[in-house]
Amino acid sequence: MNTTLTRCCCILASFLLLGPTVAAPVTTGQDPETGLRFWEWRGEGVLFRLDQRLPDQTRAFFLARGFDRASADQVATRCVFQSRFRNTADAGAVTIDLDEWRIQVPGDAERRLLTREVWTRRWQAASLPQPARIAFEWSLLPTRQRYAPGDYNWGMTSYGLAPGQRFDLVFGWRRDGRRHHARLEDIQCPPDIHPEPQ
Amino acid sequence: MRSLLPVLLLLASLPGLAAAPPAGGQMLTPVAARPQAPGFELTDIDGVRHRLADYRGRVVIINFWATWCPPCREEMPSMQRAWAQLREQGVVMLGIDVGEDEDTIFEFTASYPVDFPLLMDRDSAVVRAWGVRGLPTTFVIDAGGRIRYRAIGGRRWDDAAVLDRIRALIPH
Repeated sequence: MNTTLTRCCCILASFLLLGPTVAAPVTTGQDPETGLRFWEWRGEGVLFRLDQRLPDQTRAFFLARGFDRASADQVATRCVFQSRFRNTADAGAVTIDLDEWRIQVPGDAERRLLTREVWTRRWQAASLPQPARIAFEWSLLPTRQRYAPGDYNWGMTSYGLAPGQRFDLVFGWRRDGRRHHARLEDIQCPPDIHPEPQ
Repeated sequence: MRSLLPVLLLLASLPGLAAAPPAGGQMLTPVAARPQAPGFELTDIDGVRHRLADYRGRVVIINFWATWCPPCREEMPSMQRAWAQLREQGVVMLGIDVGEDEDTIFEFTASYPVDFPLLMDRDSAVVRAWGVRGLPTTFVIDAGGRIRYRAIGGRRWDDAAVLDRIRALIPH
């Protein structure tokens, strides 16, 4: 009974500290031409979407912007998605902080996203040319951003997992000082496949 | 306490309210503080130097972008159409590319032709000074050099409501 009560109190504390986990329609699907999958969450005046990017796509993008092969491989194989975050409400700004988002893999400790700042530290040792570092920084979703109604960003997000690995993402935002979070379940990192042109 | 727990847990598990209707996405966000726009001096892809201070007395639209950025590409034709309607009224439009060179931008303009100046912020110093965090981000500066509107993400710049807001800043 004590265990049950403790668990209930933990859940209640989570609710009070973190705000409610918002349930909203999640749309998932697959691009009929590329076969790449997407996950989209829409609710509470927010839209968040993840689209798989094949490692080959990401590798080619960064090779074309001055990355050496090893550095491009390092990014491409760390579970990269094209991401969109939008404030769809009529009023009120929304802020995000990717450092507060959590990656959950069954049987594994919670992880954080590999943000611009994490990668910047890695590139300091890699001697990447300046244009490559600038392109990389701006191509990732901002770590922190404030979205007025109608504002949005597109950008890559990197989860540091192996190609094909599955995970849940607990993502969040603040509106009017209140913290919200939601969950996208069973996201699959893009597989490292090399489709041939039809 | 124990009798309250089920109620509190039920409240905690309630789904969120229905999603608000989409806001349309054509909004320009008023910048309430109207801060002075940070100055800059940059070269465009034709080698012409541009100083923001040179445009004092005119309304200036400043768009931070990059050729590889999908929403930047998407909004670029509407920026050209907007400028075609505003240039005769003295409005200045400047695209500031972040981190790329003349050749890359010139190649881009073959697919996305624009007539307004495309400046290069090669080391990204200007975009940082403006506090931008994601591309595209666009600012509307009034004749006094103050930031009046901001838009994060793309817009349809030739939308009538957007043009009206910009025209309202033109000094008479």
